[in-house]
Amino acid sequence: MGNWERLVWNQRDVLLAGLGVTVEVCAIAFIVAIIGGLALCLVRIYVAPLRPVAVLLIEFFRDTPIFVQLMWVAYVWPEIFGFPSTFFNAGWLALALQSSAYLAETFRAGIEAVPRGQREAAFSAGMSQAQTFTRIVLPQVTLATAPSIVNQFTVIVKSSTLISVITVPDLMSQSQKLVNVWYEPIEILTATAGIYIVFVFLISSAGKLLADRLLRRYGLNAS
Amino acid sequence: MSEALKQSLDISMFWEYRAVFLEGLTFNCLVFLCSAVVALSVGLGAALLRINRLWPMRWIGTLHVEVFRNAPDYIMLVWVHFVLPLLIGILIRRRVEFHPFLSAVLALGLVYSGYFAETFRAGIQAIPQGNLDAGRAFGMSERLILWRIALPQVVRRMLPEALNLFVSMFKATTIVSLIAVPDLMYNVSMVIQQEMRPLPLYSGAALTYFLIILLLSSGVRLFSERWRRKILA
Repeated sequence: MGNWERLVWNQRDVLLAGLGVTVEVCAIAFIVAIIGGLALCLVRIYVAPLRPVAVLLIEFFRDTPIFVQLMWVAYVWPEIFGFPSTFFNAGWLALALQSSAYLAETFRAGIEAVPRGQREAAFSAGMSQAQTFTRIVLPQVTLATAPSIVNQFTVIVKSSTLISVITVPDLMSQSQKLVNVWYEPIEILTATAGIYIVFVFLISSAGKLLADRLLRRYGLNAS
Repeated sequence: MSEALKQSLDISMFWEYRAVFLEGLTFNCLVFLCSAVVALSVGLGAALLRINRLWPMRWIGTLHVEVFRNAPDYIMLVWVHFVLPLLIGILIRRRVEFHPFLSAVLALGLVYSGYFAETFRAGIQAIPQGNLDAGRAFGMSERLILWRIALPQVVRRMLPEALNLFVSMFKATTIVSLIAVPDLMYNVSMVIQQEMRPLPLYSGAALTYFLIILLLSSGVRLFSERWRRKILA
């Protein structure tokens, strides 16, 4: 027990600082992923000339392993596009890119699930296409896809452990630093794994709770 | 900027090292195959625990599923590689070390066993109770019922979902390079250290993985659609 106190409890500031960075990166990545996913999906459905580009982007980011993408964004993008300038930015950007591609497909499924009749009804009631989208389609899509969106956040948190490889000081990275200082991996790594498991468990439980609520209140089938 | 773009699009440097990279890719496939076996067998075990009559068994099964489904695969990889051998060493009072390949297989297998357990469980619970009762009425043992009545139906039902999991698992094999299993990504970073040219090499690696996984996942999509129409119609 003494080891746990010495290696984990007394080092809590280091670990918490790492957890803070993890939360920060994941939050930024999540918000960017939702915006990017919505944009990709809207382009794919409504902007016919750009559809092949959107499909290619979505497929590319979905079908490349996150680790490969992370290295690619961190080391190749700065030389081609001039950004991201720091590894911190590369970290959230890579996470956001992959998740936006997954979310684009989630949103698309949600939009296509809205019955055609509703859109025609809105049209005959004199709504513009933008109005139909924001007032009829988007609210339903948001409700139906909310659980999948929460689930995508857990994926981001899990993948975020990899940004330690590009030296972003997240929880994983801080705990590995502690291991390198103390040479006692058992307690530190077990505690770190525990923190991640509890963190992801809490998020996914919240997602399940949300799905149940939505199902009960609106009778929506959350898939 | 255009110079950088040209360099990144010029995959000839990647092509030069194709023999090394192909060797790495076989390691990806090996890790994938071995950890798939672990994931399937441990997953089936955990699923059977989760539907066991005794609550302590159910509890263990649920704990297994929740721990491994919620654990990031990188931390599991590191934990299995650096902590598990020490714990075993303390138990048997001898110095134990895992070969990186073994750690990779164990870690990925365990993480994905959590997902497979849930897929198996859903499949088993979808079997009509009458089928199992009929088996019992014929005097079949529980084990025989599992192998002859339950599993064939489970496999048919869960195949599309399982194939998706296999694709995710193949993607996850890229992280084994981080504990020095000589897979494609590992060889790529080794060559980058020699040549100091990350641009064409990382781009080549990304492109290679993209093409392989695109092929796999479109194959899975096509197959699943047909399979669903045929089996669940």
